[in-house]
Amino acid sequence: MVGSSVLFPGLLSQLLAEDAARSGPIDPLLPRAPHFPPRAKRVIFLYMSGGVSHVDSWDHKPKLFADAGKTVSVNEFQGRKGDFKMFAKRPQWDFARHGQCGTEVSSLFPHMAGCVDDLCVIRSMKSDHTNHYEATLGIHTGSFTFARPSIGSWVSYGLGSENRNLPSFVVIAPKSPYAGGQVWASDFLPGAHQGTLVLPGTEPVANIQRRVASNRLQELELAAMAKMNQRHLVPRAEDPLLSARIKSFETAFGMQAEMPEVFDLSKESDATLKLYGLERGSTKGFAWQCLVARRLAERGVRFVELIDVGSSDNWDAHGDMLTHTPLAKNVDQAIAGLLRDLKLRGMLDDTLVVWTTEFGRTPFNNAADAKGREHHHWVFSSWLAGAGVKPGTVYGESDDYGINVAKNPVHVHDFHATILHLMGLDHERLTYRHTGRDYRLTDVAGDVVKGILA
Amino acid sequence: MVRRWVLIALLSFGGVDVRAEQVRSPATNHWAFQPVKPVSLPKVNNTRWAHSPIDRFILSRLEAGKLSPSPIADRRTLIRRATFDLIGLPPTPEEVAAFLRDPLPTERAFAALVERLLASPHYGERWGRHWLDVARYADNKGYVFFEEKTYPWAWTYREYVVQAFNDDKPFDQFVREQLAADQLEGGRQALTALGFITVGDHFVNNTHDVLDDRIDVVTRGLMGLTVACARCHDHKFDPLTMADYYALYGVFRSSTEPMIPPAAADPGLNEAYEEFELVLLDKQHKLREFVEGKHREIVHGGRTRVAEYLMAVHAQRNQPATESFMLIADKGDVNPAVISRWRVCIDRAGATNSIWAPWHSYAALDETNFASLASAVREQLLADTRVNPIVCDVVVNPSAPKSMQEVAGRYGQMFTNSELRFVAATASKPEKELHEVLYGADAPPNIPAQTDWGFLSLLPDRASQGEFQKLITDLEQWLMRGPEAPPRAMVLQDLPVPFEPRIFARGNPNRATTPVTRRFLSVLDPHEKPFRQGSGRGELAAAITGPKNPLTARVFVNRVWMHHFGAGLVTTPSDFGLRGERPSHPELLDWLAGEFVRGGWKVKNLHRLIMNSAVYQQVSVNTSESRAQQVDPENRLLWRMNPRRHDFETLRDALLATSGRLDAKSGGPPVNSLTPRRTIYTFVDRLDLPPVFSTFDFPSPSASCPQRAQTTVAPQALYLMNNDFASESAAATLRRNDIARCETLEQKVGRLYQVLLGREVVERDLRRAREFLGLNPDEKVWQQFVQALLLTNEFAFVD
Repeated sequence: MVGSSVLFPGLLSQLLAEDAARSGPIDPLLPRAPHFPPRAKRVIFLYMSGGVSHVDSWDHKPKLFADAGKTVSVNEFQGRKGDFKMFAKRPQWDFARHGQCGTEVSSLFPHMAGCVDDLCVIRSMKSDHTNHYEATLGIHTGSFTFARPSIGSWVSYGLGSENRNLPSFVVIAPKSPYAGGQVWASDFLPGAHQGTLVLPGTEPVANIQRRVASNRLQELELAAMAKMNQRHLVPRAEDPLLSARIKSFETAFGMQAEMPEVFDLSKESDATLKLYGLERGSTKGFAWQCLVARRLAERGVRFVELIDVGSSDNWDAHGDMLTHTPLAKNVDQAIAGLLRDLKLRGMLDDTLVVWTTEFGRTPFNNAADAKGREHHHWVFSSWLAGAGVKPGTVYGESDDYGINVAKNPVHVHDFHATILHLMGLDHERLTYRHTGRDYRLTDVAGDVVKGILA
Repeated sequence: MVRRWVLIALLSFGGVDVRAEQVRSPATNHWAFQPVKPVSLPKVNNTRWAHSPIDRFILSRLEAGKLSPSPIADRRTLIRRATFDLIGLPPTPEEVAAFLRDPLPTERAFAALVERLLASPHYGERWGRHWLDVARYADNKGYVFFEEKTYPWAWTYREYVVQAFNDDKPFDQFVREQLAADQLEGGRQALTALGFITVGDHFVNNTHDVLDDRIDVVTRGLMGLTVACARCHDHKFDPLTMADYYALYGVFRSSTEPMIPPAAADPGLNEAYEEFELVLLDKQHKLREFVEGKHREIVHGGRTRVAEYLMAVHAQRNQPATESFMLIADKGDVNPAVISRWRVCIDRAGATNSIWAPWHSYAALDETNFASLASAVREQLLADTRVNPIVCDVVVNPSAPKSMQEVAGRYGQMFTNSELRFVAATASKPEKELHEVLYGADAPPNIPAQTDWGFLSLLPDRASQGEFQKLITDLEQWLMRGPEAPPRAMVLQDLPVPFEPRIFARGNPNRATTPVTRRFLSVLDPHEKPFRQGSGRGELAAAITGPKNPLTARVFVNRVWMHHFGAGLVTTPSDFGLRGERPSHPELLDWLAGEFVRGGWKVKNLHRLIMNSAVYQQVSVNTSESRAQQVDPENRLLWRMNPRRHDFETLRDALLATSGRLDAKSGGPPVNSLTPRRTIYTFVDRLDLPPVFSTFDFPSPSASCPQRAQTTVAPQALYLMNNDFASESAAATLRRNDIARCETLEQKVGRLYQVLLGREVVERDLRRAREFLGLNPDEKVWQQFVQALLLTNEFAFVD
């Protein structure tokens, strides 16, 4: 601990130790025991904003290639019910089998395709809403209408922080997604569980950079404060709030020292940078986000979320599927690099990596020559990798055209229940009392998907 | 373990185990639903300490547990406590000095201090903000698609609240105005009060969610009842039913927001304003013309294209009902919103309805064998005397239909023909029945016209949507930002014909079932007297503040108590139901509620009652024997005052005030967070609450907030260590005239202690300061010194 001897002398440590037992309700980030032994200690949640086309990436539909241009009947289109004749649209990218498991992946993601032996691809994801806002909120909070705590906040609330010098839930998002900060908000959970936003650039985290001219000066300043606090505490020794606040400065000082180190990639080897496809010195793109995610995970951050792009210029390819190309290029090698790097370091054994988006895209369109695809929440694809997940497998199926779930549906609530389960949390027991009700991430639904557990 | 047991024993009263009693009683016997009873003051031994009625309630419980209260705090502590408490700002060194010099005995000097603070215009800014937590106040709507995202006039409600507290408006009137100012005599001045209902989230314009939020803020915020739990099923614990919920749903569904709300204040006569008004009228006219034209088309189509609508309804058979916001169709298609009304109409009529029985019977047939099955159905229908004779003649009799298409066609033909012949004066009963289907109050084609954003969902094709959006955006922007545009009140108005609510099975608006009347909660009004006047909001307001409802007064006095002591007598301030916590001092709660109501619901009186008690004036440090600390470490029995940490507003406002930067201007539109005005005036962004707000436990405005969380986390410390706002505060403090002109180090340090901590410097402080500053401190070192003071617990907490 940097400077702890100067700042927090014996008397105080002693008082703090005495208080530790009672400071539970005050310090929301104290580590808490899971409900049962966890498979994963932390999550890296990769979220692609705008709706990635499942039939162009993870879900091979030979019939869609064969029947392209033919009409298909659907009973809903863009939220409207009725009988519709639509035109099946040929996927833009060809598929091939990869790895020893032979899971099919399209040429949209050539690097990730090389990692399929570590993935459990879910081809039967279901969401409740066809709009970006609701679906984005849903995949993050389990609620498709109201602002609710994010999954990262729930994990933070359930397990606390492993490393008190870092936040428990970090979000790296260069741009604001649909639904904005609600995506990582703690909402009714204590504010400590909100995602800490990291923005690529000179000061990735707010207020982390020392403003005082020198380290020495700041230490003096904090020492002066600590002495005053000590004196102030004497007649108030039993007040856990005061001790907790003293402790928070100790933590803050630690964070200030440790946080910049997280973002200092200078000691990463050329080989590692190459793995992610990151140029030395660059803070751009998903490669930087992925490498920083690994460093946060290494240091005990419970939940790291990476959002690739914001609420515009994203995967929402209404006009032209080819807009997927640059977005895929941004994330593909970086994610593959992250998986390989985690594996090399033995971290994939206790880290859960999640890849998802808010919904898929229609395998059809209302014109035969339409270049894009519309929103499609009836079925889409995601994957899980790492701790506790069956590697090299596929779970669930969509129908011949990728329009509906054909087998083993995984609703967003099931997806969430499974992630919590892998973290050692029972989604039905992880509750918080608010407006007279015990709330949970999965509302009143959700089943752990046993079929994907190793 | 022993400690818990003793506390439980102390908290159960009169020797009765309250929990056992609770188990035996039905829910309506729950303490909170009982009338506020007159309470006599308990007897106490230490009459010297107990100088107010409140003291006797607290002391009697302490004495019963053989605990002693704490002594009265010194004057310095008292003035700092009272000033932050009532106006949310630190006392100035001059105010402290004057209070110390006051020759009156402390008790009287303090009473006078309380009066001075209650008269300060800053009082409303502090206590108004507490109320805005309950009112889930924000300056924007949350996520919406096309329309304006901000509430340009939410601040007029904030202004109303601040003013109401400053004016000591009786709380019952305050509540009535916030629910129904438009229906009160002389309510014109208070129209901005209705923001209480209308400043909530827009929930992407989902009406049912908006109404749910309104029911929630009214019931939880005013009465501590979680009625919103009864949206999908009866309340699991409290005697609140779905009928109660939909009774209130009917009230709020019958109250809508006009597209052009009234001006918050009379704009007066002037040429520039008249100019504005003319343009506004013109834009309004254009919008209305468009809407009326489109609406006529939709209604006309609904009546003349019955066959097409019936087929559309049939196509949706066996599909879950949906209420989707974004519906896209082509020009000339039947209208999706009207389809859904036809569907509801036919479903609700049911399989034995005189008009729709044939439809239901045929629709149930298997499509592939339709023709062969239809003739048997026809025979049955011909024999069924309940079927309307015209329907029998035109739809059933001619022949067995070959498809649903044919059935729909016959219905369509029948409606067209019978309308051509229809003459109200001479029409037969069967004719009238048919006419009613197209023209009755609930008739599917009679979809209400709206000149607000809601109309967008009635326009299924992109072209008319675009045209409508242009017209309405144009009007909206002019209304908000046109030159001379006056601020407006976010009012509600009653619909000309109130909405008749039905229970939505499992909360699903597509499954409207049993009708209910608009009325008050049955647990508080067992006669379930229906509301008669318009939406019933006025009657609801009267019931909520009426003598038969014990909750409103109890809930509010508890909130006031909570803000004075850091914890309420009931620690679940928005849940007085069976799952809420029981009051720690039930008689005191009732005594306060009784005094409050008897004294005309005057909030300032409550402050006087509370603050002039010995309980409030106790020291917050533990000076007593350690027994109290052991038995009741959470201080539920109030054997001492609770020290309190600044919340976001008092912290930021104190930093602005002590550094001499505070711009004390009150009221007006919201400002950005860099403006050095009181925090209550900073823009509250519901969609993207700035991280610093959440870091310091500012509540999410997504729902009414009963009590703020109090967390202590490193990002709070980092903000004070490294944010520019903190270092600028330190620098500006040193630039204050009274500090800059100090000549010696001792003078300067002394003054800093007075300004920042409200106390005199002692030798030990000076010694430390000298150590820190050295012999010739430069500006930087001084700044660090001040910042160190700003970081201390002494600055952050109020004893």
